[in-house]
Amino acid sequence: MDAVIYPVNDFGPLMKGLAIGGLGIFHVFTAHFAIGGGFLLCYFQWLAMTGRSASARVFMDSYFRYLVLISFVTGALTGVGLWFTSIQVSPVTIGLMVDEFHWLWAVEWTFFCLEVVAGYAAFRYGPRLTDRARLALLGLYTFAAWMSLFWINGILSFQLTPGTWLETRALWDGFFNPTFFPSLLYRTVAALVVAALVAMVLINLAPGFTREQREELVHRAAWLMAPMVLMPGLGVWFLAAMPADSREWVTGGSVAMTMMLTIAVGASALVGGYALLGLLRQRLYINGATASVLCLLAFAATGGGEFVREGVRKPYTMRELLYSNAVKPDEVAALRLRGLTEYDPYPLRNEDQLPKLNGKPHPHLRTGALVFREQCSVCHTTAGVNALPALTRGWDPEMKRQNFAKLQQLKPFMPPFAGTPVELESLVQFIEWLQQDRPKTWPDTAKNAADYAARLARIRGWLDAAGPNPARLPSATDKGGR
Amino acid sequence: MDTAFPFGLPLPTAFYLTVYVVTLVIHVVFMNYVLAGTATVAAAYLVGGRARDGDGVRLLKDWMPLMLSGAITAGVAPLLFVQILYKQEFYTANLLLFNRWMAILPVLIIGFYALYLLKSGWLGRQSGWVKGVVAAVPIAAVAFTGYSWTENHLLSLRGPDFWGRFYATGSQLYTEPQLLPRLLMWAVGSVPTMAVILGWQLWYHGVGRPRRLALFAVAGLALVGASAGWYSLVADAATRAAFVSPLATPYFVAASLGVALQVIGWLWVARGTQFQARRLIVPTAGVLLTIGGMTVCREAVRIAAIGPDRFAALVPIHATAFGRGGFVVFVAFFALNAGLVALVFWLVRHRARPGSGAEGTVGG
Repeated sequence: MDAVIYPVNDFGPLMKGLAIGGLGIFHVFTAHFAIGGGFLLCYFQWLAMTGRSASARVFMDSYFRYLVLISFVTGALTGVGLWFTSIQVSPVTIGLMVDEFHWLWAVEWTFFCLEVVAGYAAFRYGPRLTDRARLALLGLYTFAAWMSLFWINGILSFQLTPGTWLETRALWDGFFNPTFFPSLLYRTVAALVVAALVAMVLINLAPGFTREQREELVHRAAWLMAPMVLMPGLGVWFLAAMPADSREWVTGGSVAMTMMLTIAVGASALVGGYALLGLLRQRLYINGATASVLCLLAFAATGGGEFVREGVRKPYTMRELLYSNAVKPDEVAALRLRGLTEYDPYPLRNEDQLPKLNGKPHPHLRTGALVFREQCSVCHTTAGVNALPALTRGWDPEMKRQNFAKLQQLKPFMPPFAGTPVELESLVQFIEWLQQDRPKTWPDTAKNAADYAARLARIRGWLDAAGPNPARLPSATDKGGR
Repeated sequence: MDTAFPFGLPLPTAFYLTVYVVTLVIHVVFMNYVLAGTATVAAAYLVGGRARDGDGVRLLKDWMPLMLSGAITAGVAPLLFVQILYKQEFYTANLLLFNRWMAILPVLIIGFYALYLLKSGWLGRQSGWVKGVVAAVPIAAVAFTGYSWTENHLLSLRGPDFWGRFYATGSQLYTEPQLLPRLLMWAVGSVPTMAVILGWQLWYHGVGRPRRLALFAVAGLALVGASAGWYSLVADAATRAAFVSPLATPYFVAASLGVALQVIGWLWVARGTQFQARRLIVPTAGVLLTIGGMTVCREAVRIAAIGPDRFAALVPIHATAFGRGGFVVFVAFFALNAGLVALVFWLVRHRARPGSGAEGTVGG
């Protein structure tokens, strides 16, 4: 565990991952729109200034307004929001990332500054400038927006595939990690697609265009979707570059992961099929409703893809460095001896609602609640999404003991239990208590000292049998991705 | 820490503190413009009549969305470095305030869109009370954000024992006696900053009445003095001592000199019939001295509040972060992008289409 223990908030029935995932998906979609929108505006400016399309010039102002209103406002603030949400969900993770990559984040910040200045200048003054100057401003905006993707992509992909950084600890080994390029190229294509689809919605909404003009603009915008032909190859490249166990989750090992990947692939295939066959090959027209549906499909693809990207890191938030519950792999063995709950400086909230034992909150339930808060609550709730009492319903107490002790063997995407046998037994009692609808009294399960000692000995045996390591240590060649 | 900031501090700590202070000053300049600007616009709409159509209010309305964007973007850098400098303190305060803290994000989004509404033709067709409500939304959003930051900052200065007790209560509201005067001092301090930037904007366009803006700025400075007095009465002895500690004394003196310079400068500006660059330079220098000095004093107060033991424990963390790579790359891209930003201004200034009516202009 990190030397610092942070307070943990209860998100109620909402799984913490859903909070950050939901915001993340929305932010990624708007960020992709900002990047792809820059490419589209450059393309349309070129069409206008070379006399290839008079309508393109008229359309640009309308498109740019939406880009500013969505990306510059909601996109920018959800970006900051993601940072704050990351702190809420896992301060240790974001802290380690900041320590390692703060100068690269600072580089990204310099591109944010250029993006804002160039973007506003192009929006505000572009129509008054010469065509070449306007194109230059749009080019600078697009360059800055794409470079911000370049930098953050390296940092985010590091979390899944730190690659040779694990041995060298060299910054650039971590940044240019095995999934850096497939991820960057995939996101670039996705950004172009989002921008083109939004353009198609707006082309249908913008007043003053004839049907012919709308058709022309739609077919111009559709060219930005042509790179979708590369998506299957880039996706396979990404899958091949990720660690073998992560690949296993999305190819059948985890139902949720496989389902999300299917949604991402299916939605992308529908959008890509329509774009490549309908819009580019058959030169079909697309109305506002259909374009909106394709936009929603693109959003679903983004959602599925981001869910997979976050999920395949399990059981880590930073591969080989930090488990999702902020326990460091090399600390598990020590935590199994000394425990964690005694070192947590934050008291248990609402402990007066626990049953009493000798006039005090039941000590085992109290410890169990602390263990749940420290080790489980980042992914599980007590009564809501991914609720632990629901997931373990049907397991008798002995099954719970053995399964929790051998957690990483039971479910390889789970981290190993990082506490003492007493803490594990307390967690079992706490879950049992929750499953029995929080009765007002609860027995002293340690009253029979011999029985209690035997239980703890069995737990210790199972913990030792499972070992402190994750289920399958990747082979040397597959550490942190190939 | 018996020498002036940043001397006497270990190199990594001094380095990160300096970078933090510099980037925070940039953020504060934008933030002050937005805070005082949105308040001014709201007041003009509430007063109604000619106040709403003045050159100053028109410029503020026009520039406000860009400046809020600037404030948010400029805020990213100090947000990054505060995590290196005071990770545990900052994260803990964030976590303790939880939903209340996170509320600044939707609130800012609403405030941001209200700024665009203020510029829209739609608002011109609405009744007076609708205009008043829309004009009040941005200042409410920005004020709420400012309050939340102050609350977060002060909570971060408390220690682990207090945090534990605060966590047990489940409360998401933190207050202490110095919160309001401290917030008020920074809030009214935004008026002179905004006045300086607006003065330059009015000078550029050759419009506006210097006397009126000068009066506004001096009134703001008077309020700064009053709220600083209140703050000094309410603040604990350690906070007061931090301002005159060896670490902060030169900066406190600089900040005070900056205030004096601003008063003198604005009195000089007020004597002119139109804005003049040579006169505006004086309050501009004063504002920069005051903001820079006060930002260092703010850090001195924080270091004093954290205490020597906890601060000493942070030093190795700074040293570890200092050992990470990437600084040279940052400097290179900082220089590149500063040059490209300059290119943007140059293009806008010198590449207007003939006959567009915008030759040689920026703004307006």
